[in-house]
Amino acid sequence: MKSSLRLSATLTTLAALTLTGCANPEGGGSSGTGSGGQQTASAASGPTCTIEQYGATKVDFKNAVVGFSQSEAEANPFRITETQSITDEAQKQGVQLLKRNANSNLGQQVSDIQGLLAQGANLLVVAPLNSEGLQPALDAARAKHVPVVTIDRKLSSATPCKDYLTFIGSDFVEQGKRAAAQLVKATGGTGKVAILLGATGNNVTTDRTSGFKDYLAAQGKGLTVVAEQTGEFTREKGQSVTEQLLQAHPEITAVYAENDEMALGAVTAISGSGRKPGKDVKVVSVDGTRNAVQGIVDGTINGVVESNPRFGPLAMSTLRDFLSGKGIPNTVTIKDKEYDPGNAAAEVAGAY
Amino acid sequence: MRLDRLNLRDHGVYLALVLLVLVNLVITPNFLTADNIRTQLVQMVPVLVVALGMALVIGTEGIDLSVGSVMAIAAALLPLYLGYGALPAIGICLVAGAAAGLLSGSLVTFAGVQPIVATLALLVGGRGLALVIADGQLKQIRNQQLLDLGSGSVLGVPLTVFVAAVLVVLVALLVGKTTFGRQLVAVGGNRKAAEFAGLPVRRVLLVVYLLSGLLAAGAGVLATARLTASDPSSVGLLVELSAITAVVVGGTPLTGGRVRVIGTVAGALLMQLIAATLIKHDVPASVTQMLEAVIIASAVLLQREGTGLRLRRQEAR
Repeated sequence: MKSSLRLSATLTTLAALTLTGCANPEGGGSSGTGSGGQQTASAASGPTCTIEQYGATKVDFKNAVVGFSQSEAEANPFRITETQSITDEAQKQGVQLLKRNANSNLGQQVSDIQGLLAQGANLLVVAPLNSEGLQPALDAARAKHVPVVTIDRKLSSATPCKDYLTFIGSDFVEQGKRAAAQLVKATGGTGKVAILLGATGNNVTTDRTSGFKDYLAAQGKGLTVVAEQTGEFTREKGQSVTEQLLQAHPEITAVYAENDEMALGAVTAISGSGRKPGKDVKVVSVDGTRNAVQGIVDGTINGVVESNPRFGPLAMSTLRDFLSGKGIPNTVTIKDKEYDPGNAAAEVAGAY
Repeated sequence: MRLDRLNLRDHGVYLALVLLVLVNLVITPNFLTADNIRTQLVQMVPVLVVALGMALVIGTEGIDLSVGSVMAIAAALLPLYLGYGALPAIGICLVAGAAAGLLSGSLVTFAGVQPIVATLALLVGGRGLALVIADGQLKQIRNQQLLDLGSGSVLGVPLTVFVAAVLVVLVALLVGKTTFGRQLVAVGGNRKAAEFAGLPVRRVLLVVYLLSGLLAAGAGVLATARLTASDPSSVGLLVELSAITAVVVGGTPLTGGRVRVIGTVAGALLMQLIAATLIKHDVPASVTQMLEAVIIASAVLLQREGTGLRLRRQEAR
């Protein structure tokens, strides 16, 4: 997801161990802080998968060793919260957890997963770096009859119940649509929009863009997209690209940023141009990080669609249900929240 | 003959710059407004400041790949020391940058490690270190002095642009008017000969890498002030490539022995305007990358062709 972080340093794993404490100073990442955090699945449909169909080795969940392969360094709120959530829930359930971080290196993730299997993981939770390229690792898990739950990014050419058990994640197209709906509401349905795209060649970018445009085509014909440029999911690029676009298209009245960091960069750029962010130029984004939700409270951002990274409880309960013989749906879509001026002040403490 | 050399070899970048400006005057709305000029200058500052140090290093036939990571280290340190005030905090960042430069300089000078390898090590390890320092987190800057540095201006000139202009003048003086500048060029032109001539080759190399680290840290501070946040995971990513391009397009050869400071400024400005033009006209990112490559290659070829043209004309006479 936030693929802007091309980190090569191995030292970052060290950092990951220490940063989580500061990441969620108010415990937003742990469950138990009420509805603020925990993911819930929206109604799942379609075929299900049982332990017999999958051919996994039956183990007692309490004695299981769960292996978690994280894709990117925990250097942004999403990854920090995701890893923390898995860690917290494993502790809560009393299962042993082994963690690896591939630091944005696909080859590393394959060997991470193989390493976890070699270390005796009976269950795997994988946040894939890419929608392709994990097949060797999946084959290794299959050979050992270890079920794999993939989270946050879907594997496009692998088959559920065969290559992996299930996918738990958000519907990125839906996020784009909901962001468009928020923008229509904030602008009254007319205006010129600039889109700050995510990293190029990333399915999150493609989905959040197509969802947004589809909604505008259907229910927001008064909003015209005048520019779409990548901000590479970073605040700096979000800021500098917005500065350029505001110069070239002074008529821009709305910005859709495909993640919160770019939206925060856009807010700085809009203020810098002498306009009022949230007023003269409306801003909506996707993620639901605390800084962005605070932006709604401050009036500089108009709406944020959440992409909930707290996968721990749902991933663990899915694995537990699977081991107890229940059928698991092929896809578990998360219900993401939405922040707007009506609920931001009340919800900001629960944002990640 | 002399005129030809001036025009084509050294001034290719200025020609390209003038062409690009003319094109923009025709096709880009609001191009010649004060606001737009300010935006372009402000955005190029970090790359320019890094490129100044890079030009010195390349002048000695070296290269410094670590600059982006040094920016990240500076960005990571800055918020930690803002409690002591903006100036002391900036001072600490600059000292750290100089130390990082001294480290790669020592590897090059005393251990005989090739510059590309020595600074590659710091490129990789430096960003990791920055993330450890910052706990991997982006931190909002609330120090008013630093925010003023990032967004304030004097007589319509943004402060960061003013700082960059002062640095350009200082580096130009260092190269053009001092003994050190002449030694630097001599070391880059022919290191063996410089050694035989009794020049302090090691000291020159150490100081050059130190300055590159110092300037990179300064760029990290300026970028952080402008962003209003310390973001060690993405600040300065790939800046080494932009800086090298600015230096080379500006007429400083990778083979050393020559430093073009004003050419470097023009090179940085050219790169900035190319990126801006493509964004303003909503060219998709994939096309942008290819177009940038073509424009860079043409700019460098233009210089080479200038050389060729000069030689042909010489023969003709």
